Amino acid sequence: MSEFKVTIRPRDNNIHVLELKGYLDAHTTPVLEDSFQKMLNEKKYRLIVNCKELSYISSAGLGVFMAFIEDVRANNGDIKMSDMSPKVFNIFDLLGFPMLYDIVKLEEEAAGKFETAK
Amino acid sequence: MRLKKILLLAGAFILSVAVFILNAATKNIDLDTSFLQHLRTLCNIFSFGAIYLYLQIVKREKQRGIVQGIGSVAVFAGIFLTIYLFISFLPWKGFETRDLTLFPRDYQTILFSSIFSIVAGIYSIVTLLYIKDLVLYKRKKATRRNFIVLIASLITASLSQLFSKPLEDSVVSGIFTGIAVLMIVTNSFRLAWIAYLPRKEKIYSLLYSLLSFFGFLVILIVFSQDAGWAEKGIHYYSPALFTFVQLTSIFGAVYFGMSFSSTLFHLPTAEAFDRKQTEISSLHNLSRLINQVFDLKDLAETATKMTTEVVQATSVWLEIIPTEGSFHKSGLMSHRNIDEQEINVLLSGGDKSVRMIVCQTKKVLMIDDMSSDKRTKHLPKLKKTSSLLIVPLLSHQNVIGILYATKEIEYGFDQDDVDILSGFADQVAIAIENARLIERSFEKERLQRELMLAQEMQKRLLPQELPVFDTVDMKAISSPALEVGGDYYDIVRINDRLVGIVIGDVSGKGVGAAFYMAEVKGIFQSLAKIFPSPSAFMIKANEALVTSIDKRSFISLIYSTIDIVTGELIVARAGHCPMLYISSTAKEYIRPQGLGLGMRTGKIFDETIEEKKIMMKSGDVCVFYTDGVTESRSSDGDEFGYERLLDVVDANKHRTAEEIKEAIIQTVWQYTDAQGYHDDLTIFVVKWN
Repeated sequence: MSEFKVTIRPRDNNIHVLELKGYLDAHTTPVLEDSFQKMLNEKKYRLIVNCKELSYISSAGLGVFMAFIEDVRANNGDIKMSDMSPKVFNIFDLLGFPMLYDIVKLEEEAAGKFETAK
Repeated sequence: MRLKKILLLAGAFILSVAVFILNAATKNIDLDTSFLQHLRTLCNIFSFGAIYLYLQIVKREKQRGIVQGIGSVAVFAGIFLTIYLFISFLPWKGFETRDLTLFPRDYQTILFSSIFSIVAGIYSIVTLLYIKDLVLYKRKKATRRNFIVLIASLITASLSQLFSKPLEDSVVSGIFTGIAVLMIVTNSFRLAWIAYLPRKEKIYSLLYSLLSFFGFLVILIVFSQDAGWAEKGIHYYSPALFTFVQLTSIFGAVYFGMSFSSTLFHLPTAEAFDRKQTEISSLHNLSRLINQVFDLKDLAETATKMTTEVVQATSVWLEIIPTEGSFHKSGLMSHRNIDEQEINVLLSGGDKSVRMIVCQTKKVLMIDDMSSDKRTKHLPKLKKTSSLLIVPLLSHQNVIGILYATKEIEYGFDQDDVDILSGFADQVAIAIENARLIERSFEKERLQRELMLAQEMQKRLLPQELPVFDTVDMKAISSPALEVGGDYYDIVRINDRLVGIVIGDVSGKGVGAAFYMAEVKGIFQSLAKIFPSPSAFMIKANEALVTSIDKRSFISLIYSTIDIVTGELIVARAGHCPMLYISSTAKEYIRPQGLGLGMRTGKIFDETIEEKKIMMKSGDVCVFYTDGVTESRSSDGDEFGYERLLDVVDANKHRTAEEIKEAIIQTVWQYTDAQGYHDDLTIFVVKWN
């Protein structure tokens, strides 16, 4: 089984970046779930998921985003995604994620889409 | 057997009567070595032979224990002496001695000495039969031989008397008597049976041995009285019998004298010996139970019962800790002679309770005097409970249970008890582990059966066969990766012209996925006929699903209707893989926009869903599939992808739907070859004839 890792990196404007690396499937989703849960517990709702090194995502992986987006948005935050490889983007795209989430090319771009912190 | 016994008794009786008649007839004649004398001897030998065989059969049928055997000997010795006394008081004249030969003065004398002699013979045979059992107990190689030599010398010494007159001393007889006495002493050291007797039986053995010993002693004194008639009576009847009876009595006196003193010396250690015996048999029983008792409750009952026996505790209880590492929940499984309330009192004290001390140290805890020990003196005093022994049941260094024993007296437990119960606790721990393992494997089996059921159910959710039309050729296959997969396909006749085809993928696998799939099937079969437009169907399906589905799950679906007359195909997609379309002019993926079902309620879903329409012409092929096809991986980790799928269908487009389906599967399987693993995989091929 391939490895999966999440690195959390704070950036300006009270935004936190979750860098995903590896293979996100039913076996590795708990790692991402824990990371999101940690952010929520710390009341950090302005999140960017950087998918630069994400090599695969399964339907269970997609489910994690759906599980947390409501809570995040209810707290005036958002989960935005960036830096997807075409293959990974295709998986998100098939399911219609771009219609529900901000999925952009670069992390910078995603950061710019957040309103300035109060 | 019964007949044999009767025959033997009758034979012995007739022969004895014959001897009596002979004796009476020759009352005043010295037979010496005449024919009649030999006849009398033969009658005697056969008579006692028959009695011996009879007694042996009776004894074998009765099967007495060792101690009862000694008791029987004592009783027989007593009977013999009683008869002696009884006869002594009867009026008769006795014998006259002439020329070393005895002549009875009257017929009573002949009768009484005959009866007395026969009783003496019987008592001797009984004594030898019972002593034989004792001597041969736990026999060694030489044991049997020594005993046979003894009997042989007894008989030889006796028979050598046949050639002498009743009161004459014979040299041969003297030699064999000497050998016999030697063997009597040798055999009298065979007392192995004493050690194995329980304490109570040892006391009985002591008593019976003493009685037998004195019995034989008295008999020997009676025989040695010059003035007495006992010796003369038997001598008159048969000199050989007298030697036999005398030697047997010596043997009896020596043997039971030895057994008495030996038992006496064994008595102080009897209790310890008994205890070891109980321990061994309890441990043995327990290890046997391990393989038989799978129920924890039964096991606990047995363990407490055995603990009570082994250490003779006043009360015993056992708790099994339900979950590893958590000592806070008690799982009292079995208690004897103490109730739960009393137990709670004894174990009160929170983290400082004796129970917690054992849980933490994982060591045996012994409290000699509960009222003075600092660990327990704060507890209210309970009757019957003065000393306490607590043994943890360990498995892989985890405390899985605790065994408690109490005694009424202070300092009730000693190091021996600790050792025994520790060993005992190990066995119980193994038994508990065993029982748990079995429970778990039952549970696993139950889940397996559940999964099988789900698989069975899922198979029935897929159409058993596809309808056949002149215009369209349709073939489908679905192979789940696990026992229960998440793929679904179905077909429905909407009306005379329209056929609805659906393929979907439920996120997640296993039993949960199967339930969602059943729901999708219900929705599809009911809504497809009401809403012929694919996008309208998708909107209604989403409405139905979104409320019932878990928020992190979703269902991807692609739905198309085909007009079997015109070839018009309308497709809507809800997050599913796009449809592959190959015609003479085009080869492309048709990908109308649409969110997966169950992801979002209402407006966004409804607004984003699209429909696409194509007109199928002769030779056109449409392929619906799940991501198991495109995401199949080669041994290098590369995905099969859309290109390869398109190529294989394009290369086979002139073939039948069945052949195209087979070609796709073959290509995918070849591609994944070394992997062995594949995702759920479903393919639906539609070809316009």
